[in-house]
Amino acid sequence: METIVRIPTPLRTLTGGADEVPAAGGTVGEVIEDLEKRHPGIRDRLLDDKGVRRFVNIYVGEDDVRFLDGLKTALKAGDQISIVPAIAGG
Amino acid sequence: MMRAEARVLLIGMGGIGCPAALVLAHAGIGHVGLCDDDEVERTNLHRQILFSDADVGTPKIDAALRALGRSGDVAYRAHRSRILPDNAVATVSQYDVVLEGSDNFATKFLAADACAIARVPVVHASAVRWIGTALAVGAAGGPCYRCLFEDVPAGDAPNCSEAGVMGPVVGVIAAAAADFALAIADGEAPFGELVTFDGRSGNLRRRSVARRADCPLCGYAPRIRGIESSAYVSPACAG
Repeated sequence: METIVRIPTPLRTLTGGADEVPAAGGTVGEVIEDLEKRHPGIRDRLLDDKGVRRFVNIYVGEDDVRFLDGLKTALKAGDQISIVPAIAGG
Repeated sequence: MMRAEARVLLIGMGGIGCPAALVLAHAGIGHVGLCDDDEVERTNLHRQILFSDADVGTPKIDAALRALGRSGDVAYRAHRSRILPDNAVATVSQYDVVLEGSDNFATKFLAADACAIARVPVVHASAVRWIGTALAVGAAGGPCYRCLFEDVPAGDAPNCSEAGVMGPVVGVIAAAAADFALAIADGEAPFGELVTFDGRSGNLRRRSVARRADCPLCGYAPRIRGIESSAYVSPACAG
């Protein structure tokens, strides 16, 4: 199953400038692994040894995966994944 | 609370603070604090809309007060310092709402912690390149900034000195943040609402975020009970 992943501006250098990309997988973790195959380097921007990096939030629909099942969060048809990074600027 | 009696503190008179100050002034907020210790630089002018060429080299506080003096019936108070560990709680305690538009993570986390300790609602706003975010946090947190981003990044998260800031994006986020601050002053509770704006697509989304049970600031067993200066270190963002 393919899911649309919304890519924030700081990570678009890894997706050829695309703000939305498809990726396959039944869970958030599987989708990130597929993203890594299609856009090498993106996994390290999202994950560290402990899981989702602390200055990154990954949403399935309106829900932060930290409050679901983390990387094991199951996806269903039509789900959209959004990545929201911590940013400091103004 | 009547808006004319409300006290709002702006932390950072940059791309967020300048347009937010105008919104607050014209919306009838009676007391506005301005907190910054920087001087105006020419590279600020495209997004820090209170300033002009003539202000380059002068303190932002002075230039902002000159510009804001033409807007609204507001009592302004100048805090000519950054929010620092030794003044943060005392400063935010003097206000009903804090709008934090600083340009570095250390200040953002310090403002989050100080406001939680002082039990003052805070709106956090940021913009880098084409993306911006604004988060409204209640006096009791739940959720707070640390529920989302946990702690000061190690250094590989983008800030504006590395990535640049697009003027229209900070304008949109400043308006969203000021809207949150006005709602709080009006007695509404948009707490836990996160606005994200993508300046390239034009998409603006507003979603609710949840408290993190193990949040060190507002979780069920909070560990942050005071301000320790060593906890707030991150690269500053020039301008």
